[in-house]
Amino acid sequence: MSVKNNSYRKNYTLIIAFMVLISVFLVLALILGFSLTKKYVENEFSALKIDVLDKTIEPYNTFFQNKIPEISFYQGFLDSVSGGKYANNVIKLYPFVSKVLFYDAQIRNKSTNDGLTVGNLSIGVKKIYQFGKQIKQADKVVYSVNNSKTLSTTTKDEFNKIGLKLANFIERVDTTKTLTNDQIFKSFYSITNNRISYINIPRREDIKTYKDLMLKKPTLNPSFEQDIFSFELDANQLRIENTHPQLYQFVSVRPISFDPILEKPNLITADISLPGPFADYKIYFGSEIDFLNKEVIRRFLPIALAVFGVYLVLVFITFLIYRNLNINQKLYSLQYDFINNFTHEFKTPVSVIKIAGNNIKKAKELSDTERNRYGRILDEEADKLNDLMNKLLSFTQIENKTIKVNAKEINLEVFSLNIIDAFQLKYPDFDIELDIKEINTYATDPVLLSSIYHNLIENAYKYAKDGLKYLKLNIYQDKKMIIFSFQDTGIGIESKELDNIFKKFYRIQSRYNQQGSIGLGLAFCKELVNFMNGSIAVKSEPNIGSTFIVSLPYNN
Amino acid sequence: MLNFLKKYFYVVFVFCFLGCSQSQKAEKISVEAFFKDASQSFFHISPNGDNLSFLQPSQNRLNIFVKSLVDSSVTQITKYSDRSIRSYFWASNTKLFYMLDRDSLNNYQSYIIDKDGSKPLLIKTPPKARIEVVDILKDDPNYILIALNDRVLEYFDVYKLNINTGEKELYIKNPGNIVEWISDKNGNINLALGSDGVIETIYFRKDRNQSFKAIISNNFKNNLKPLGFSKQKNRFYALSNINRDKMALVEFDCDLRKEVNVIYENKDADISDVIYSKDREKLAYLTYEIDKREIHFLDNQYKKIYQYLKSQIPNQEIKIIDKDQAEKHFILKSNTDTNPGAYYLYSLDDNKLTKLANISEDINPEQMCEMKSISFTSRDGLKIHGYLTVPKGSNGKNLPTVVLPHAGPSLRNIWGYNAEVQFLANRGYAVLQVNYRGSNGYGKVFQIAGYKQWGKNIQNDIADGVNWLIKEKISDPQKVGIYGYGFGGFSALNQVIANPKLYKCAASYSGYINLFTYLKGFPAYYRPYQQMLNEIIGDPERDIDYLKSASPVFQVQSIKTPLLIAYGSKDNRVNVNEINQFVKELRKRKISVDYILNENESNNFKNPSNKLAFYQKLSDFFEKNIPVEKF
Repeated sequence: MSVKNNSYRKNYTLIIAFMVLISVFLVLALILGFSLTKKYVENEFSALKIDVLDKTIEPYNTFFQNKIPEISFYQGFLDSVSGGKYANNVIKLYPFVSKVLFYDAQIRNKSTNDGLTVGNLSIGVKKIYQFGKQIKQADKVVYSVNNSKTLSTTTKDEFNKIGLKLANFIERVDTTKTLTNDQIFKSFYSITNNRISYINIPRREDIKTYKDLMLKKPTLNPSFEQDIFSFELDANQLRIENTHPQLYQFVSVRPISFDPILEKPNLITADISLPGPFADYKIYFGSEIDFLNKEVIRRFLPIALAVFGVYLVLVFITFLIYRNLNINQKLYSLQYDFINNFTHEFKTPVSVIKIAGNNIKKAKELSDTERNRYGRILDEEADKLNDLMNKLLSFTQIENKTIKVNAKEINLEVFSLNIIDAFQLKYPDFDIELDIKEINTYATDPVLLSSIYHNLIENAYKYAKDGLKYLKLNIYQDKKMIIFSFQDTGIGIESKELDNIFKKFYRIQSRYNQQGSIGLGLAFCKELVNFMNGSIAVKSEPNIGSTFIVSLPYNN
Repeated sequence: MLNFLKKYFYVVFVFCFLGCSQSQKAEKISVEAFFKDASQSFFHISPNGDNLSFLQPSQNRLNIFVKSLVDSSVTQITKYSDRSIRSYFWASNTKLFYMLDRDSLNNYQSYIIDKDGSKPLLIKTPPKARIEVVDILKDDPNYILIALNDRVLEYFDVYKLNINTGEKELYIKNPGNIVEWISDKNGNINLALGSDGVIETIYFRKDRNQSFKAIISNNFKNNLKPLGFSKQKNRFYALSNINRDKMALVEFDCDLRKEVNVIYENKDADISDVIYSKDREKLAYLTYEIDKREIHFLDNQYKKIYQYLKSQIPNQEIKIIDKDQAEKHFILKSNTDTNPGAYYLYSLDDNKLTKLANISEDINPEQMCEMKSISFTSRDGLKIHGYLTVPKGSNGKNLPTVVLPHAGPSLRNIWGYNAEVQFLANRGYAVLQVNYRGSNGYGKVFQIAGYKQWGKNIQNDIADGVNWLIKEKISDPQKVGIYGYGFGGFSALNQVIANPKLYKCAASYSGYINLFTYLKGFPAYYRPYQQMLNEIIGDPERDIDYLKSASPVFQVQSIKTPLLIAYGSKDNRVNVNEINQFVKELRKRKISVDYILNENESNNFKNPSNKLAFYQKLSDFFEKNIPVEKF
């Protein structure tokens, strides 16, 4: 059984593996996305032609479903003027109608020369008119009973076709039933290539009468008006609505036989046939390969960006994880150092006390000098321990914000001189100069302020070469702040270290702090100053000296 | 806060609940109660006054029943289950003549039957021909005079019909333009009304042996309507508006060929009804109507009878609908605006009044709403009369309103019970009826003012009526709907086309949607009227633009409101293909259309279930589009 390693773990390979994996996925996603988009565009190219057809054929559908049945609404009452109005309206609204023939027809039970006769029923033509953009007013009347001209075969044909359909319908129809749409379509429309003919649908009563006229020998000679319209259509005039210009580079109406493969082999093409009377034509769609590729790229771009965006987010998260790992690791080692140092700090006074204690125990008798020496050693070492403990305690207190500020009005000069005197008593070789400008008193917590003095003055002494142990303390007011500047002539701090010196447990590796330093002093100062709503800064040049500037809020 | 809201919520909830339960108390009367077919109707009395007859539904079709006044026994004499009786007539004291509704091939059939239901005898006619009874022959009970269009569909010839054998012999051949034959008390036909479409001519002959001579002709805009001969030789009574605006009762001399005597005229109204006793050759009374029906007596005996009846059936309008030959027995019909009324039999000799049947059993007059006559001035200064019915219990202000243009257009709304009006008022709507120009009863000029104005001034009058109601603060301008039958349906559609902001919705019951089809839709025997129709409605060739603008089928793009459209597919005046096309286009334009098409119905739904379903739908349609707030 393997023992689980519970120590601090740091594995950069894991992060690298993850990075590689998501990068691979990125590439795969991009490739897959691109090929899918391409496939999609190709599919659309062949599928969306139905859209274009629908849009293009829409006016024809309204024409077929609404405009043509309108003829029936007039119930055969149309004449040259009203029929012309209708026809011209059609030509104006629907450009694909090139010419309209209007047969003003009559249904009777007398045989007729101008028309056709089925049974007793005759469908005759009174007049034929034509309308169209190219047709002049003078040529409007194609045929009239009184003034017979020769009729063209198509004109006759159309009339006969629709007449026969009607006759056929009348012969078979069951007049007790309502007409179905299918019956209407089969009997009243005649749809051939490029042409639709329509005869108005008589009312049910009229159909019955026609049936009677056809099958019986009626006594009366009634006549009934019927209107027949024949529309000549031109597929080339269909207005093509390219609803997908990004897919189709060329769209046009072409004869059904059209195929451009010989001229343009690189064209991607599709076609769809037109319905009904336009059956000879198709809508032809073509796009060059580059044109389609552009469309693929256009569509792929947002997908690629999205994939890339996700990738970047993942990378960023990985980076954050990496940074966290790093910081944790540093912190871990700092604390480790601290414990090491601290143990060491405690060890020295403790071992000195132990030695002194042992010596006292072993000695048969103690001389006054010895007793004094041991007493002083014990006293000093106990003080050291006490000092260490105090430091540790207040530091934790400040960190946890459990101490309170006890503001008192202090005389800065007296306060400063007291501390300076104490230091000079302790270190006789320490030269401290005090310069206070225009400030007498300051309200603050003297304990906290003295802690800051002690730490900074102690450092100035500690990090100075022998014989150069000098400190200048300037106190002055700057705007709303009171500034304490501690300027020494010590070893200085390298600029790259400046950012770190206020961090907890940070110590510059130097021979000056081999003993009695745990890297808490400056961090403690900073905590204190922050606690008092002030700030601390440092200026330093190696081998020349450092200046620590403490700014505290000054309220009169 | 939450607690407060909760409390408030309960209070609101309780109020809502009370509100709902209260509105349920304002009783909604069922569709059936309003539109159920009358159990007994079309009462007739035999010439000798011994037997009563009426139509009553049996197996969902109207059949003839005969009730003896001697022993009170009731016999069902016809037993049809496929078609109803369309009309019937006492051909003698023992035999009845009746005609059935058209069959599936649109043919009519007429029969003679004994009053006990035996010996039904089919009168053979060519398909499509129709029989109209002209008169019975007093001195020869074996024969009646009928008019029949068997020779040419357009012309009715007079035949003498043997009611025992069904044999008929040609009595008078129609020279080609006679549209109505008028008999005298002896059954001689010496007076006839002819028409060539525009000109109406009265023909007269002294006796059978002479030929008819035209005595006076007049344009169809004028009217000379013979009622019957007077006691003076060669003179007849007639309603006439020749040389005057309103129809007056006059006496006309055939020899002098002119009107010799004005018996009664009213400066404000046409005379609408004259009770004339053919046997006594005397006038009984006449009626006219401006706001309410007024009676003017011309005979003291009738005045006395009427006063007695008035005292027996107080506060009701009373109409004589049939009488026996001796004028001893009368069948009466009563009604008011809130009371559908009843049929009564009155016998003069014993002064006895018997109630025969209620017209609508389930209607409680207490719950019906009062109909008030109103008038307003149209935008071009014409005084327009009409009727307003507001829901019972309302304050008469800011009401949702349904406008009900009448059919015709040359008919009119009258004061009296109207099931549609009461039905809508019961559902909480104020109902406006407008006698727009073109309506009859208000004189010649007013009627002619409606010619070729079907889509214009007539519609303006209706819209003016609605605007008047809004101005008077009776109508809620946000809740106005319109519904009509026939021409009324045509008007409803035209109203929403011309005034899309005024109406929230429109319902059309057999409304014309295409005037071209309407013009073509007149049956062949109306052909003489073709030219007249061109003048009244419009010439389909010369007035094509007007007819187009007035035909809803051409105006689909102007319709913006929800519609309810109901038709019978056997309706001659409309074309089902056209309606389908119309509805299709409206629906394509995302207009909500409730479309009812009944396969076996004509313009007026006969099948009770179709009829009830339609009115239920109508009620739902208005409830949805112009909801009534509960009061």
